[in-house]
Amino acid sequence: MGFITESLWKAVLLIVSGSPDVLSAVWTSLFISANSILLASLLGIPVGMGIGVGEFPLKRVLLTVLNSLMAMPTVVIGLLVYSVISRRGVLGAWNLLFTPIGMILGLTLLALPIVTNYSLSAVKGADPRIVPTALTLGATRFQSLLQLTREVRFGILAAIIAGFGRVISEVGAAMMLGGNIRGYTRTMTTAIALETEKGEFAYGLALGIILMGVALAINALLTFVQEKRRS
Amino acid sequence: MRHGIYELTGIRVRFGSRVALDIDTLIIQAGRLHVLTGPNGSGKSTLLAVLALLRKPDRGRVIFCGLPVNWSGKQLGALRKKVTLLHQESFLFSGTVMANVGFGLKMRGVDQQETSHSVKHFLALVGLAGFEERDATTLSGGEARRVALARALACRPEVLLLDEPLAHVDQESSMIVENLIASQFLAGTTIVMASHDQHIEERLSSTVIRLDKGCIHRQE
Repeated sequence: MGFITESLWKAVLLIVSGSPDVLSAVWTSLFISANSILLASLLGIPVGMGIGVGEFPLKRVLLTVLNSLMAMPTVVIGLLVYSVISRRGVLGAWNLLFTPIGMILGLTLLALPIVTNYSLSAVKGADPRIVPTALTLGATRFQSLLQLTREVRFGILAAIIAGFGRVISEVGAAMMLGGNIRGYTRTMTTAIALETEKGEFAYGLALGIILMGVALAINALLTFVQEKRRS
Repeated sequence: MRHGIYELTGIRVRFGSRVALDIDTLIIQAGRLHVLTGPNGSGKSTLLAVLALLRKPDRGRVIFCGLPVNWSGKQLGALRKKVTLLHQESFLFSGTVMANVGFGLKMRGVDQQETSHSVKHFLALVGLAGFEERDATTLSGGEARRVALARALACRPEVLLLDEPLAHVDQESSMIVENLIASQFLAGTTIVMASHDQHIEERLSSTVIRLDKGCIHRQE
């Protein structure tokens, strides 16, 4: 019990004193997650909405693939991206392995099915009269889709928040693609794994507390957005 | 042959294996009020969707304002600005009544000041003056129908398509809507209205198009 209390006290001190290592891991996590979710949103929202409103052959197959990708193990995604960006991979010449960009690529792939599926669900759950109403009031197809986006904005926001929650808590792919380099690619999750292994429990705990805080904030925001969507 | 604002030839619309609309020829004259009647499922709403250029027929030719409709995005964008459809279950976008009624004007690039002026004018016409800042999602059914009508009229369309505009509304709303339809018709707007009301054609001296099982049974 003394060990836990002592570690907790040390962890609080590390947070309050603004330990450079802790701050660096927090910043790296937020930077990489924010960029990943930005890329995943730019790709996933239009694709999800396109699948939602469009009618085309093999739509059911695509939906099944998307659902399967949601459950894809993160280490498999890490492995896949590793094979592409490692020295012998297709993008090997770009030296992306063990860099924040390499991590962003991997985490983008991780968040993409989540953002796409949530966006698709938002569109499928939307009132089917939105697009025809906009069209009959003189909107172009593009303007009518913008109006649809506006109407389902809380669903889209939920997609972004859910995707962000997924990437910020990711450890497997982040470790494989980032290499856990201190002050460069070390995120909160990879630092927790490493420091705990080294016996630096208090340091891991400090990051764990911050990560929990971020997770709680994300969940609170998601709940708020879902409530807003329902109302 | 007389030329109309719409000329439909050999139109067929299918929903799966069911033929929803099967029209050999239909001419809609400009500046007149046409009432579509017929039982449920007779094809009234489908015909309105074709006239609103929202539903491409599986077969046949539509000429609108003298132009054969080729259903390309560019042409549809321009033609749809001439016609507005008020759906049976009118949908209001989330936001204020002002944003809803001004939507069509915004799509036409009308500036904010003129939009604001038009919105106030058309809201007053439907008896909802002062409703500009109200949340559209909190309106009653009758109020929502009137806001939707104001939104359609604010676009100043050449053709106004109305799908059961008098159904499920209170007497006050019904009277306002009917008077507005009459005034739009007198102002020269072409109106095509689906209705179950047996006597509306007599009250509004209109042309009647009777549909049954997707076919025109009588045009008088």
